[in-house]
Amino acid sequence: MFRLQGSKVLAVEMTGDSVRAKNGSMVAYDGEMAFKKLSGGGEGLRGMVTRRLTGEQMTLMEVKGRGTCWFADRASEINLVTLQGDKLHVEASNLLATDAGLRTGTTFTGLRGASQGNGLFTTTVEGHGQAALLSDGPAVVLRVSPQYPLSVDPGAYVAHQGNLRQTLQSGVTFRTFLGEGGGEAFQMRFEGDGLVYVQPSERNTVAGDV
Amino acid sequence: MTVQVLDPATLPADDNVNPYTFCVELKGSQWFLQKGKMIAYYGQIEFNGIGHGALDRLVRTSFHSPLHAGDWVVAQGSGKMLLADRAFDVNSFDLDEGNLTIRAGNLLAYQPSLALKQSIVPGFLTLIGTGKFVAASSGPVVFMEPPLRVDPQALVGWADCPSPCHHYDHGYARGVIGGLRALTGIGGSSGEEHQFEFVGAGTVLLQSSEALMPEQATGAVPHEPGVPGGGPGHASGGHGPLGSGMPRMPGQLGDLQRRFGL
Repeated sequence: MFRLQGSKVLAVEMTGDSVRAKNGSMVAYDGEMAFKKLSGGGEGLRGMVTRRLTGEQMTLMEVKGRGTCWFADRASEINLVTLQGDKLHVEASNLLATDAGLRTGTTFTGLRGASQGNGLFTTTVEGHGQAALLSDGPAVVLRVSPQYPLSVDPGAYVAHQGNLRQTLQSGVTFRTFLGEGGGEAFQMRFEGDGLVYVQPSERNTVAGDV
Repeated sequence: MTVQVLDPATLPADDNVNPYTFCVELKGSQWFLQKGKMIAYYGQIEFNGIGHGALDRLVRTSFHSPLHAGDWVVAQGSGKMLLADRAFDVNSFDLDEGNLTIRAGNLLAYQPSLALKQSIVPGFLTLIGTGKFVAASSGPVVFMEPPLRVDPQALVGWADCPSPCHHYDHGYARGVIGGLRALTGIGGSSGEEHQFEFVGAGTVLLQSSEALMPEQATGAVPHEPGVPGGGPGHASGGHGPLGSGMPRMPGQLGDLQRRFGL
């Protein structure tokens, strides 16, 4: 059971089950816990090779035991997401912990990732259970519906879930090359039905200065 | 804890979504914003650099800070747009036929009904007129009435023009021991010997932390006698036609040379 203690610490109560969490993110625990490092994201050899190749590496650990375990990472804000059979796309660096019942994988996202400087791939989480996401500042959750498509700055994107189509939208014009662009040269456009998590801060991206 | 899911209907209009995110509603209107502070938007919104020809009229009336024009864009269209800045607190303020001077790095966005000008105080910008603007601060903003002295790092800005001046606490450095202290730092200095002093009518805005926002260049001032910070004059490139004393706006025809690196 995932529970937030304040907004920056995640408390997980365990009764013999296990969770996966970012390596080294445990700050305290009581009860009996065992920590096991999962090489290459815990998806076996194939997953490990995929992650190595795609740059979506995660160092995960599996925590198993009875009691309460607290997780935190660099005082980042933590957001809880409950998945009921749907798929969550998230940058590997923004994923703090997932229920053992959730599967993680890697998918190709196309050009969008390239503009973001995080590579062409993103991590997916699917199944039934809870996941904890990290963000710089509390994330804003925005609903996308067919009549309301959403554009997001790649630097502020954290994750999305649901049935969304994602395209890279470019505002690059000849003016960009004259050094007078609009400052928002690339945007990720989401269409369809689902939720997008956006953080109130921008990572440095390749397109950040354009 | 349930997470609030927002869509265009539930997003506030020209108000805070949370302490770190501000939502602007555009209805065919325009806003000036600092480059790269938009994090997401619904609807049809276009972002154009200040130098964009079609914006000439708007820029002429509302933008008078020519040399840092490269850092500003104009958003226009209709829809709702979210603004944020490195997870700092953001707040909106209303000016009614007023004036407010703010540290350049703190200003995020403003309505074109306000005019933005460089302040005579280096590193600060002044907004004049009626309208709304959005500013970021490290920690919530506190409003104070002069007379008071403030720590330089906590100062965000001031409204209605109280007079800002430096204040030095020389008391600590008196006598031989005091002199030694000041010279060597041995015996400790409190770190609070230098303050900004405000007197006169008005309001002073402070942030509740001494973490400075990264400085944003306001651009050089024309090198003229009597202009503070202008320095001993040598007119260099980028300062417009020689001797005119007017900095040059981007998008001016003369700028073609600069653009092509000539």
